[in-house]
Amino acid sequence: MSDIQFNHKMAAHCESGTVTALLNHGGFEITEPMVFGMASGIFFAYFHKMSNFTFPTFVVRNKPGQMRTNIEKRTGAKFKTASYKDPIKAEKALDDLLEQNIPVAVQVDFFYMDYLPAWFRVHNNVHFITIVGKKDSKYLVSDCYFPKIAEIDAESLRKGRSAGGEMAPNGFLFYLKSIPKKEDINFEKEIKKGIKRAGYYMLKIPIPFLGIKGILKFADKIEEWPKFARDTEHLSHEIMKINVLLEDQGTGGAGFRFMYATFLRQASELLNDAKLLEMSKKMMEIGDGWRSISVFAARIGKNRDLGPERLKELSEMIRERAQVEKVFFTELYQLVK
Amino acid sequence: MTEFAADDLKLEIKNLIIDTLKITELSVEDIADDAPLFGGGNGIGLDSIDSIELIMALQRKYNVRIDDQNLARFILESVNTISDFIIKEKAK
Repeated sequence: MSDIQFNHKMAAHCESGTVTALLNHGGFEITEPMVFGMASGIFFAYFHKMSNFTFPTFVVRNKPGQMRTNIEKRTGAKFKTASYKDPIKAEKALDDLLEQNIPVAVQVDFFYMDYLPAWFRVHNNVHFITIVGKKDSKYLVSDCYFPKIAEIDAESLRKGRSAGGEMAPNGFLFYLKSIPKKEDINFEKEIKKGIKRAGYYMLKIPIPFLGIKGILKFADKIEEWPKFARDTEHLSHEIMKINVLLEDQGTGGAGFRFMYATFLRQASELLNDAKLLEMSKKMMEIGDGWRSISVFAARIGKNRDLGPERLKELSEMIRERAQVEKVFFTELYQLVK
Repeated sequence: MTEFAADDLKLEIKNLIIDTLKITELSVEDIADDAPLFGGGNGIGLDSIDSIELIMALQRKYNVRIDDQNLARFILESVNTISDFIIKEKAK
């Protein structure tokens, strides 16, 4: 039986939220937007034809795991990670750490988190929760998407940790090993490094479907989506998924743009830099534009109003986001160069 | 906010829900203050797409922001919770 006093908080996104919660538990006070921004979480990638996707899709954040590894680089905090193909070994490793009163973040298939309402749960292999205790055969869970500490039975957790498929959890876990002294961190330097890295990925990475180039590719290619769809129902489902990917997947709204705006505001306060506050306001407006796209896509998908003119309209809205983000990130990059 | 003003606000919210989401089969009398707005069962039956439209409508009408969908699930639980949120935000 473990005895961990864990301060549970909801968060916008599971990975940035879990990393933040573990750092806070260890005594290192930092906010989720600050973790997200310092870890260069903001991103865009469009995948038109990839062997592992059955339909074109996009992502709005850096790769899973990078928020943790990047925040380690920026702050000097250290996390220990491990993976276990064998579910029994995975469970034993978790139990051993809990016995030592160490809260442990684990990767799970979201679908098996049965403390959440059934209508909310979908299969998604990259969800992170923190296990903060064990009471008889039940684990105590701090899940950023749930308002209080939840309970899950050992079998459901085992299923969640050993689910198969794309990006399978494989019993992956991580926990905090050490935190740095705040006075040892040059926040100005590290925040700017985080911004610079995000700027590089959005503006300069020489891959035609990443960053701003990815948003433009998305705008160019969305009019071709009907040829990938089996029928109108399938197309409407995929178009409505734009809303889900931007709003419903723990993005903090507008594909992480609102969370990045909050990061810039908090950075401006910490560094006493008025220019960053201006950039924060601009990013909030950019987010509002993405949210309009998400509503438009949801509406035309729901109404099955998916003719070429509507898709062209959607394409133009996305192209406009590429243009404003290019101006924005160019200005932001210049600020920290 | 007085009880009377809070009731007015709830009525406004119900009208906003009906107008924004073009729910022709319901009138304000059909939406109880504490009825769950989302999910099946006894709820009004709104979905996540409705929620984002409602968030934008609330932002336009009351100048309040709900950026995060995880929090939105709780704020948009019922007319009561939306009204409480607006009152709290306006008091800031």
